[in-house]
Amino acid sequence: MSGMGGATGMGIGEGLGAATAVTVPPPVLTEPRTHGLGISLPSTDSYPKAQGTFPYAADLWAEGLLWAAVLRSPHPHARIVKIDTSAAAAMPGVRAVVTHEDVPGSAAHGRGIADRPVFASEIIRHHGEPIAAVAADHPDTARLAAAAIAVEYEVLEPVTDPEQAFAAEPLHPDGNLIRHIPLRFGDPEATGEVVVEGLYRIGRQDPAPIGAEAGLAVPRPDGGVEIYTASTDPHADRDQAAACFGLEPERVKVVVTGVPGSMGDREDAGIQLSLGLLALRTGHPVKLAATREESFLSHPHRHPTLLRYRHHADAEGKLVKVEAQILMDAGAYADSSSDALAAAVAFACGPYVVPHAFVEGWAVRTNNPPSGHVRGEGAMQVCAAYEGQMDKLAAKLGIDPAELRMRNVMATGDLLPTGQTVTCPAPVAELLRAVRDFPLPALPKDDPEEGWLLPGGPDGAGDPGAVRRGVGYGLGMVHMLGAEGADEVSTATVKVSGSVATVICAAVETGQGFTTLARQIVQEILGLEEVYVAPVDTDQPPSGPACHGRHTWVSGGAVERAARMVRTQLLQPLAAQFGMSTELLQITDGKITSYDGVLSTTVAEALDGKELWATAQCRPHPTEPLDDTGQGDAFVGMAFCAVRAVVDVDVELGSVRVVEMAVAQDVGRVLNPAQARARIEAGITQGVGAALTENLRTPGGQVRRPDLTGYALPTALDAPDIRIVKLVEERDVVAPFGAKAISAVPVVTSPAAIASAVRAATGRPVNRLPIRPQTAAVV
Amino acid sequence: MTLPGTLDEAVAALAAMPTAVPVAGGTDLMAAVNSGLLRPAGLVGLGRISEIRGWQYQDGAALLGAGLTHARMGRPDFAALIPALAAAARTAGPPQIRNAGTLGGNIASAAPTGDALPVLAALEASLVIAGPGGGRREVPVGRMLAGLDMLRPGELIGYVRVPLLHAPQVFLKATGRTGPGRATASVAVVLDPARRSVRCAVGAVAPMPLRPFDTEHWVSSLIDWDGDRTLAPEALAAFGEYVAAACIPDPVPGHSAAPTGDGPGTLPPAVLHLRRTVATLARRALGRALA
Repeated sequence: MSGMGGATGMGIGEGLGAATAVTVPPPVLTEPRTHGLGISLPSTDSYPKAQGTFPYAADLWAEGLLWAAVLRSPHPHARIVKIDTSAAAAMPGVRAVVTHEDVPGSAAHGRGIADRPVFASEIIRHHGEPIAAVAADHPDTARLAAAAIAVEYEVLEPVTDPEQAFAAEPLHPDGNLIRHIPLRFGDPEATGEVVVEGLYRIGRQDPAPIGAEAGLAVPRPDGGVEIYTASTDPHADRDQAAACFGLEPERVKVVVTGVPGSMGDREDAGIQLSLGLLALRTGHPVKLAATREESFLSHPHRHPTLLRYRHHADAEGKLVKVEAQILMDAGAYADSSSDALAAAVAFACGPYVVPHAFVEGWAVRTNNPPSGHVRGEGAMQVCAAYEGQMDKLAAKLGIDPAELRMRNVMATGDLLPTGQTVTCPAPVAELLRAVRDFPLPALPKDDPEEGWLLPGGPDGAGDPGAVRRGVGYGLGMVHMLGAEGADEVSTATVKVSGSVATVICAAVETGQGFTTLARQIVQEILGLEEVYVAPVDTDQPPSGPACHGRHTWVSGGAVERAARMVRTQLLQPLAAQFGMSTELLQITDGKITSYDGVLSTTVAEALDGKELWATAQCRPHPTEPLDDTGQGDAFVGMAFCAVRAVVDVDVELGSVRVVEMAVAQDVGRVLNPAQARARIEAGITQGVGAALTENLRTPGGQVRRPDLTGYALPTALDAPDIRIVKLVEERDVVAPFGAKAISAVPVVTSPAAIASAVRAATGRPVNRLPIRPQTAAVV
Repeated sequence: MTLPGTLDEAVAALAAMPTAVPVAGGTDLMAAVNSGLLRPAGLVGLGRISEIRGWQYQDGAALLGAGLTHARMGRPDFAALIPALAAAARTAGPPQIRNAGTLGGNIASAAPTGDALPVLAALEASLVIAGPGGGRREVPVGRMLAGLDMLRPGELIGYVRVPLLHAPQVFLKATGRTGPGRATASVAVVLDPARRSVRCAVGAVAPMPLRPFDTEHWVSSLIDWDGDRTLAPEALAAFGEYVAAACIPDPVPGHSAAPTGDGPGTLPPAVLHLRRTVATLARRALGRALA
């Protein structure tokens, strides 16, 4: 990489023709580049977060602030007979109590479909649904006052089994069926010589971000309100909040601050609404920091899914037909379930060529906690199922599982079952080959020097004699950006003043590295090392939610365009003065030079005290909704990944340890090697959690043990060795810089690979995620 | 909050303010306070009482201070003394918890998953309890954990008397993940050559550690205490099965409200797996103790 030096860096410039390449002397490799694209520029958040000095949303403070607490339903399904707030309101120190009666505007909110009440008025639909909120001068007073609100419930029988939701009484005026997609592709009469069937269940994963929800609302003199919070989609949150407050959107400002990581929709937007209502009511700043328990109850989880599959193949293992039924538990409210279902149905067959596919997908309403956007939603659940089917086919045909997959992988130009042609790079065969051919880790039994971390941990009960090792494969795919006609757009502004560039873009840094990427893009194009990325608020033009790799694409694209516009503005007068085109000028380390060396000045001198501003938008090509047979060009782009999992299973105890995950991923182009690696490692680790331990249990609709002891996240000891075997850099021509989204596809693929490896180790059917010890134990 | 320097001062402080709660490592207590479940009128901090932060020897037993942290008990010098307790301490949560949490706190919290508890039960340890006016009384740990003899107002666990057996001891624990976690089941096995007995206790499957006395007697009688102290694999396996069946019995049809499996008198799959886990842990623990 370093050998190519500056020439590669300039290679992304538009119209840098052959003239430049010929006339620019070979770069003198004095020192490696420290900025620009392709460099492992560290994130500005990393050190403060590691050292404990990062200001999270829970650290917000304002003079004279009040503390809020939310009363939540203890029942999953109930009718509210009466709410009596008089005792709470009369408590000393309580400044306001708000219920559904105090919502001046729209009574409901929600992503996409506004079907979720701000506060429950008649019907409780899930455990933890907000009923009222209190502001008081001390957090304990607020908590006690919330507990003192007397609510009379008529407890109703909850609908917790999604299969019962079809026949059950409607839980909501909108009905229980949120979406049904009957995908029809090819010939329904087609049959294969070999048929395998399977039933798969995927549990409820929680995003469990480092910090729970928190925020501060400050009333404005004009009757509006400012909400400081760790939102990942500030404009959507502002619009929802303004509608509920009965205010114009301009009078509500959401300021993004202290985001403690995100795996999707990290926020329960209801908390922002409670805060805003209380601030408007009291005229004081109001702060709320949710407990971990509240966080588990209220924010969106991964859709628990039931999948029934039938795969037909010929005797050589070529897939003929896939039939599938996919039932997703949306919980009490619609949220982004419609999108999750579309992804599940479209990717139901995985990155394989399938001539005939018939997939029925349903997302249904239940009295379980809400499901929503969690990295790789829809795609992750089906991946576990179709890879389970591929293992079954391999076993039935006696073909090596990797070889069977190899015979079926898709490539650029193949069709998805939605009828969409895969036009982006799809190097699936190359990815699979890379992980398959990577050397397996040595067995510690053969290498006494090596310490062997057995399943169960260093002081655990593991016995080497009972440990069996298994190797399994997973191939996964996700779509990038919002699908089905979503208007994906982002706007960015770039300013240059002196030798400093500033980026203003409402794309939220959730830990995904957008701030660092924006700096690198501007460094690359403007040749300035010092780039400042402004904090995000809703006074800036919208950039949309931080999900589906959107910001690398649309916001990165907007930053790129704005930076190029500034560059042109900066160089145009100089170029005109010297009678050459701007393409013959280059900027490095703040110095502007011409190809022939006649011109040599600095950016600061060229600016002569002026500021240059430019604003640009990036809006990728439009998509279309899936029609009533599940057909349509619904996706802007796709990303692929292959994972080989190596697991050790103590077959007596059923304890599993993932030893190594070998990953090969289709990334388009690596813009920041260290961050790309970190995103893949994070994704794989989240996948390990989904495969082995992470499951929020809700017997009877009641969330059981909503804390980080009961909900077991992977620790450093559970995280496997992650070998990034290959990053395939085949540029996606329609994406800015050719780069694809990185974070989601390892989450999608790794649980399937781990399940496959546990199957190989134990010979047991593994049809459920997370894998339970009784499944992995060989009796 | 008071910070007494001696055990008797701490007892006096509790007597002076009966609503105060003693706190050592605070790993359980402060979590309850922070989540609003508990709002003590006052705290008596035990962290400055140096006499209970170490151990001494007395009549062939070790007198362990209740303020010993898990981290301290996990070190090699302690492990040479009471290996099973050291092993339990090493698995008791992540380093932050082990640095703060104490032996006395583990007993006082009496959580079913308390890692030290099955070890103390198998060792037949007893608690030295400090009471008002310099009073001391001794209670077998099993009686305390079974609720037969509770701490009275103003009393504190001062020391834990553990017999020194000078023989192998094993503690094994099954958890849901490779990193630190609460036990789904744990087994302590200690050999007592002087009394020619094997003692075993199972943790986390019931509100208190369970001792399968019949199985202990049976297996003790099989061992050649003067010889090489080995058992055939079949005997080890049988030991595991007996321990598991004693601690997780089959439901008696019509006599139990516990959920059952497919037929009457059968266990649900998750409970069956727990029983197999206990059997495996017990077999491995005795095997390692006799190895």
